[in-house]
Amino acid sequence: MSVAAAEVDTSVELAGIALRNPVLTASGTFGYGLELAPFVDLRRLGGIVTKSLTLEPRWGNPPPRIAEAPSGMLNAISLENVGVDAFVAEKLPALPEGVTVVASVFETEIERYAEVCKRLGGVPRVAGLEINASCPHVKSGGIEFGQDPGVLATLVRAARRATSAPLLVKLSPNVTHIAEMARVCEAEGADGITLINSVQALEVDVERRRPVLSNGLGGLSGPAIRPIALRMVWQAARAVRLPICGVGGIASAEDAVKFLLCGATAVQVGTQNYLDPAAAATVADGVAEYAARHGFARVRDLVGALEPPPRR
Amino acid sequence: MVCPVGASLPVPLRAEAEIEVNIPQSGMNQRLVLRVPGWPGSAPGQFVMLSPGALAAVPRTDPLLPRPMAVYRGAGERIEILYRRSGRGTALLAEARAGERVGLVGPLGRPFALPAPGERALLVGGGTGIASLYGLAAALGGGATVLLGARSAVDLMGREDFEALGAALAIATEDGSAGLRGLVTELLERELARGGPARVYACGPTPMMRRCAELAAGAGAAAIVSLENHMACGYGVCLGCAVPVRAGGYALVCRDGPVFAASDVAWEGLA
Repeated sequence: MSVAAAEVDTSVELAGIALRNPVLTASGTFGYGLELAPFVDLRRLGGIVTKSLTLEPRWGNPPPRIAEAPSGMLNAISLENVGVDAFVAEKLPALPEGVTVVASVFETEIERYAEVCKRLGGVPRVAGLEINASCPHVKSGGIEFGQDPGVLATLVRAARRATSAPLLVKLSPNVTHIAEMARVCEAEGADGITLINSVQALEVDVERRRPVLSNGLGGLSGPAIRPIALRMVWQAARAVRLPICGVGGIASAEDAVKFLLCGATAVQVGTQNYLDPAAAATVADGVAEYAARHGFARVRDLVGALEPPPRR
Repeated sequence: MVCPVGASLPVPLRAEAEIEVNIPQSGMNQRLVLRVPGWPGSAPGQFVMLSPGALAAVPRTDPLLPRPMAVYRGAGERIEILYRRSGRGTALLAEARAGERVGLVGPLGRPFALPAPGERALLVGGGTGIASLYGLAAALGGGATVLLGARSAVDLMGREDFEALGAALAIATEDGSAGLRGLVTELLERELARGGPARVYACGPTPMMRRCAELAAGAGAAAIVSLENHMACGYGVCLGCAVPVRAGGYALVCRDGPVFAASDVAWEGLA
């Protein structure tokens, strides 16, 4: 049954994007890729998902922007990026050939989301788009786009019309029924879904009796959210036929395999990139080793291979 | 090994560093010596990110994030770090024993530029900020004036090392247990009063650095500061270490600093 790790076919297809292995880096944790090039050969990764891009370059929130939490961290960076045009003109060409790039799209209004999608649509180096649906929607009183099925449907529909590129939608976990949100994406023509984004959270400075973050609320990421992410991937996988990219607290190959078993076609490594810039490449190697050890000649055969729970 | 300032910077690496020495000093200070396979050397003012939990015998994810630490000095594959046990991350690091490994990324950040010819170098270190200045003092040989401040004599880091360099050394402690009773900025005020071209290099608590910047500006001297900040990565992707700058928007302490011209920093926006 055993297979040599080097002979395992690690390739997967995610939402029409061919990946050499199923391990990408999560948006906002890997910059535009260039920052990490001194530490890791980017071609060892399944792909990179960029920092979310907006129509105009934007500064983020004032400090403090991050706070540590048990086995995790909160962040409230908010939109800081070079803007879609500078990304296409300056960041993208500087990446080595052979690096699969998924562009994350983030905006404050539906029309602006669509415009960013349009500008990225014809760019040959962009393999696909990932809509970040966790931005506060001003017209809905600040709830996230991804928290309301109607608003999410409008967003996905507009993005779908704006681009023929492979389209992933990154869902917010801050909802009651993740399956419902997944079905909205499927109905509106998304090619895949990514989940989960960070979990809305609050940390307090007791000495000063105020929130730690200047923004008040932030997004919790890291190992603390992994079981939540796994549960949501499992639920979404049972609700839709769309391919799923699982993300949330993945730090090791074993973590990644759990997501594949629960139905994710690919995964993203996020916060762990801060501890180890080569983390995603190490996870990718480890997934191949796991497959070999368990007699899977193809990594994609791990997808959804979860057995039922033990019975007494 | 200290790289000449102005030369191209060493390419940072990610390594599993082996702890050779990790022993308490006076007060809450701690001295750490690491053997870093492939260490490319560093320039004065650069730093490393240390993850004490990830490679521990029982790996820990709490506290999760690596901690930025100034490279105090280095030789070959060995680097020395002085730190203060002040929170959960440094407490965990202090538990690590010789022979254990820690994750390391570095050297990171932009280093100090040396003073122009004819300028006196006035190095002002407060608390743990002292550790960031030793490499610069060493690069200047005995030519620097070093002003060190701490709450109390036991909190002073590296005093004997600065003395051994032969630099002109003055000390201030808040409780008067060593040197002047008062703030290190008072020592700077006296030095600047001597006149002549000078360049101030400051690292320490934000109010101290801000005061150094004001005093330097008042005396017509250039001021360079090395900022400390919380950061998750150290290489420009978490965007957590943003500081407001005069030009508008933010700079990242890890990527654009930690060394900044004091006049570029929007001090009123710093927490």
